Amino acid sequence: MTSHLRLNAVYWGLTALCVMKHKDALDREQLIDFVMSCWDEKAGAFGAHPRHDAHMLPTLSGIQILIIHDALDRLDKERVISFILSLQSPSGSFSGDRFGETDTRFCYCAVSALSLLGALDRLDINKTVEYIRKCKNFDGGYGSDVGGESHASQVFTCVGALAILNRLDEVDSETLAWWLSERQLPNGGLNGRPEKLEDVCYSFWVLSALSILNKMTWIDGPALERFILSSQDNDAGGIADRPGDMPDVWHTLFGVAGLSLLGYPGLDDLDPVYCMPKEVIERIGLRKGWVALPRRSE
Amino acid sequence: MDEWCRTPEESHKLLFSDLAFTTTALKRHPKVYTIWNHRRWCLESMPEGPGNADDGGAEGGEGWKMSAWSQEMIIVEKMLSMDERNFHAWDYRRYILSHCPASLKRTDSDELAYTTRHIEKNHSNFSAWHQRSLVYTKLWSEKPESRTKALLDKEFELVKQALWMAPDDQSGWMYHRWLIGNGEEPEVLEREISVIEELLEEEPESRWCLNSLVHYKRLLLQHRSGEQHQLTEDCRQSLNKLASIDKMRRQRYEGISSTL
Repeated sequence: MTSHLRLNAVYWGLTALCVMKHKDALDREQLIDFVMSCWDEKAGAFGAHPRHDAHMLPTLSGIQILIIHDALDRLDKERVISFILSLQSPSGSFSGDRFGETDTRFCYCAVSALSLLGALDRLDINKTVEYIRKCKNFDGGYGSDVGGESHASQVFTCVGALAILNRLDEVDSETLAWWLSERQLPNGGLNGRPEKLEDVCYSFWVLSALSILNKMTWIDGPALERFILSSQDNDAGGIADRPGDMPDVWHTLFGVAGLSLLGYPGLDDLDPVYCMPKEVIERIGLRKGWVALPRRSE
Repeated sequence: MDEWCRTPEESHKLLFSDLAFTTTALKRHPKVYTIWNHRRWCLESMPEGPGNADDGGAEGGEGWKMSAWSQEMIIVEKMLSMDERNFHAWDYRRYILSHCPASLKRTDSDELAYTTRHIEKNHSNFSAWHQRSLVYTKLWSEKPESRTKALLDKEFELVKQALWMAPDDQSGWMYHRWLIGNGEEPEVLEREISVIEELLEEEPESRWCLNSLVHYKRLLLQHRSGEQHQLTEDCRQSLNKLASIDKMRRQRYEGISSTL
């Protein structure tokens, strides 16, 4: 039932383990073998599962896993770069695959993947930036496409892409940081847009954007931390979308990622632009100017 | 598709069957991206088909397409009646409005009326307010003369009802901020500041009133430099009040105050 997001889920799990200083809990060779088994030879990119068609989302996840494990040499980079570039339309937007679903999520995936592969010079950056500009709303936020309602996850994708492209001048920082700060609810959790429920995953989408804009102090960090911790399942482990619900790998990653950015003791630093371990991103020279809260000692 | 289907009739049959399949699937899974996208793909893949009375009476071989597209608005309105904040459905609605055949297009006033119905049913539906702002933005860029004082006054009246009924709800405040825009009209700014100050007397702990007053008075500063001292002092007092009643965002208020 979950094969359509399997490779993505492996990336979520691995990244969470890295932040919790347990990178080796998953066997390196087995992971790399699984990633390569998802290769779609016809398309020249990764699907979510063996024999699944290639798609932008698992392609980024595959690249991220290989980089975390320093195994990028296993990849036919040129084919992946071609696949990614082939999915950009004349308007500057990106599709997920040849079936044409357009979303700023895929814009972020394309920019992040090309950056991780050292191939940003192959991208028409101005065209990409112009498209992202059209997705900006009056409240400073960004939607899934031109005209889409501002949503915290799309804010991450657009601000993250602009950070990678060194075009944060495009962001209406004061207004957006205000909009992001208004995602915090009285229970300390964050929602994704006005008058919606809190969800642990916004601990990453909102927090990463605030970190990139250097405005993490505009929300109540301790209150958010209490909310994330209360969403843990103390019997089975893992973190859910909110207290009392069933945990899953997605919310576990983004809860742990949020805690890392908040300076929770005992965790490793996470790069909020790439949502990967900070030391990996620094190793390949892609560190951008984001600011997280200082790591507290235990 | 073209790997397997030889004739337009075969394509048409399969695509219609897939559209029916996605309709059923959406009722159970209304927020799955790929189902919505598959619907678009089916519509866009629909071949040129017969144009006779049985197929909706369309001319020029557009019968199958007309028949497919004519269902879309009904389906998306059904989905929005089930969940008025479903952004997939709102995005899909915008897609239909911009891509459907000309004879099926809705007018701007139809669409505004649709958003009014949603807003009157629930003032807290920011997705409807957002859609309203998009319709006006498009209308005003095509016909700048339609952006009249009377129209704007009516919009301010509409949103004022929402603010008074639910001063803690972000939706109306966001739309109000959109209406104010860059604050180019000082008379409008001053009038709306009065409206909000009146509401603040009823709701002295309303952080949205205070937040909006700070923003609008800062905008007013660009027109009323003679009142700079008073306006700045007002903002400082509001920010102090905000820092004490909204501790979560205290550092933002203190940060702004220090720049005044």
